[in-house]
Amino acid sequence: MIRTSRRKFLKYGGAAGAALGLGGWANLARADEILRVGVVYVSPVSDIGWTKQHSLGVEAIRAEFGDRVELTVLDNVYNPQDAERVFRELASTNHLVFGTSFSHGTPLQRVAPRFPDVAFEHCSGIVHLDNLGTFEAKYYEGTYVAGVAAGHMSESGRIGFVGGFPIPDIVGPANALLLGAQSVNPDVTCSTIFLNSWYDPGREREAVNTLVSQGCDVICSMTDTATGVQTSGELGAWSIGYASDMSQFSDRHLTAFTLDWSSYYVDAARTVADGNWVAEEHWGGLSDGVVKMSPYNEAIPAEVQAEMDSVKAAIAAGELHPYRGELKNQDGEVVVAEGEVLSDGDIRSMVWFVEGMIGSLS
Amino acid sequence: MSLFIAIVAGTIIAATPLVFAALGELVVEKSGVLNLGIEGMMLIGAVFAFWAVFAGLPMPVAILIGALSGAAASLIFGVLALTFMTNQYAAGLALAIFGGGVSAFIGRGFGSTPIPSLARLDIPFLSDIPVLGPMFFRFDPLVYLGLFMVVAVGWFLYRTKAGLILRTIGESPQSAHAIGQPVIRIRYMAVLFGGAMAGIGGAYLSVAYTPLWVENMTAGKGWIALALVVFSTWRPTRLLVGAWLFGGMTILQLQGQAFGLRVPSELLSAVPYLATIVVLVIISRNRQLLMLNFPASLAKPFRPSG
Repeated sequence: MIRTSRRKFLKYGGAAGAALGLGGWANLARADEILRVGVVYVSPVSDIGWTKQHSLGVEAIRAEFGDRVELTVLDNVYNPQDAERVFRELASTNHLVFGTSFSHGTPLQRVAPRFPDVAFEHCSGIVHLDNLGTFEAKYYEGTYVAGVAAGHMSESGRIGFVGGFPIPDIVGPANALLLGAQSVNPDVTCSTIFLNSWYDPGREREAVNTLVSQGCDVICSMTDTATGVQTSGELGAWSIGYASDMSQFSDRHLTAFTLDWSSYYVDAARTVADGNWVAEEHWGGLSDGVVKMSPYNEAIPAEVQAEMDSVKAAIAAGELHPYRGELKNQDGEVVVAEGEVLSDGDIRSMVWFVEGMIGSLS
Repeated sequence: MSLFIAIVAGTIIAATPLVFAALGELVVEKSGVLNLGIEGMMLIGAVFAFWAVFAGLPMPVAILIGALSGAAASLIFGVLALTFMTNQYAAGLALAIFGGGVSAFIGRGFGSTPIPSLARLDIPFLSDIPVLGPMFFRFDPLVYLGLFMVVAVGWFLYRTKAGLILRTIGESPQSAHAIGQPVIRIRYMAVLFGGAMAGIGGAYLSVAYTPLWVENMTAGKGWIALALVVFSTWRPTRLLVGAWLFGGMTILQLQGQAFGLRVPSELLSAVPYLATIVVLVIISRNRQLLMLNFPASLAKPFRPSG
């Protein structure tokens, strides 16, 4: 893998692009060429968290293709203006380009039409174009399974949730966490705090402190650092990790719903190399291993662990849907009727709380 | 009651990094120098203190290393702004950005590795008092050190001769120079003190408050510290009140959210900032109070002549 600074890359990238001309992905099958893949991370690669999970996907491509792939990875590209320039440069030298953050959406939508021969893949994107595919995970399946553990392990019947922003990708999993817990104990409630920041370890700590002081004894933090898991452990509360296994931060880490993007990375690389890549919308969950549960804490009783496994299997098999009715909203009004299932579109635009959630969205 | 205790104790802890960083900046500004680089110095202090704990050094040494590295970072500003008399705003901003980059570079290998956190120091007897004990006497040593520094800085500035000289330099460096005071040297000392305090503030974040290293973990606290100095009208005790107000509002809005207050969380998140602005406006109405404490030579370079 070529590891290069953004500046150096921009300096040489343009010249290289001009020299190579337009080597499109469609031609790759015919020519015995090396596959060139560019990947842009939103934050630095650390040992855990969102970007780490994407780096595992990149590793999977390398493991699969070995010498036949040339990877260019740029990290810490957040600002949309920077991102657009970076994507443009990457597109001029690569066959396949990955953006890994919601914030890469607008830049990708602007760059992709100008490079019709390059394949673009965007994680947590909502817009897809002829040569811009999207991939995303069903986080709510993971939080539902974790919720089953939370429902059993909570003594106070109160669980807590800390999220970045009140957007569907976070509100939905919070709801599913509570629904999972209510499936074993109907009286459980879930208090929520939104930090209104993607990144503020100090406020994350205070949020967990607050939830624990109000009596919550299982805390799920859907944020990018391990602060939530660490603070919960210090205060003697159980915790649920997100994106990576965070058990090294607390011995009261129940489980984590982890994200494994490698199948998307490898599939996209393979289809681009074979010349039959098409822009698609992927939305995987427990069934295809995109969402996984990290090893359960030994403190969880064996029968609860077995129940979690059977719930996990039922969701993967499509027998159990976390959002199956009857679902009521916070005010007790029926939103999803008995036996019905919330549509995919409604799940992806979910900005309402189910009954038992404590917190405000509007 | 336990909720109330949690709010008060949480406020005092949340305010601690702000108290250190802002108190240091207060002394710097009282000497007539404006160092906008607090954020950068905090980050450098945070990453070095974390490194020290990571390397197995004892906690007090780690915090000392945080202070020294913050002071070393402030020296960069000192050389630029005091020796070469560059624009203080530009030099400070440069330090803020530089500190962010350098700390990220140094911290690359530490990405989210847990370390043991600073142990709590329960004050004997006092910590056993019901209600008051858990509210005020069960903190880690740095919280007490922060409170002690508020008193110490107030005493130094207003009760000692050295403090009087420092304030004189902040008002009129020419006059101080005329009576033979080494203006530049004293300003250097103030800047170094400010850097060390910001370094401790940063160290508090990475080894006590959230004992892990993540890039840019101050998340804007250095800028809030800067605002707190103005908020306090350059008085240490008011600075403490300001830091508690800000910390308290932060915690109250989180409590409000978790209680299910039907107010948009975006609005609640803005409450600490709104409260700070409201108080600033009220203070600014009293011009006399401001003019009495504002260091008249703030951010103006001093050229010793003759």
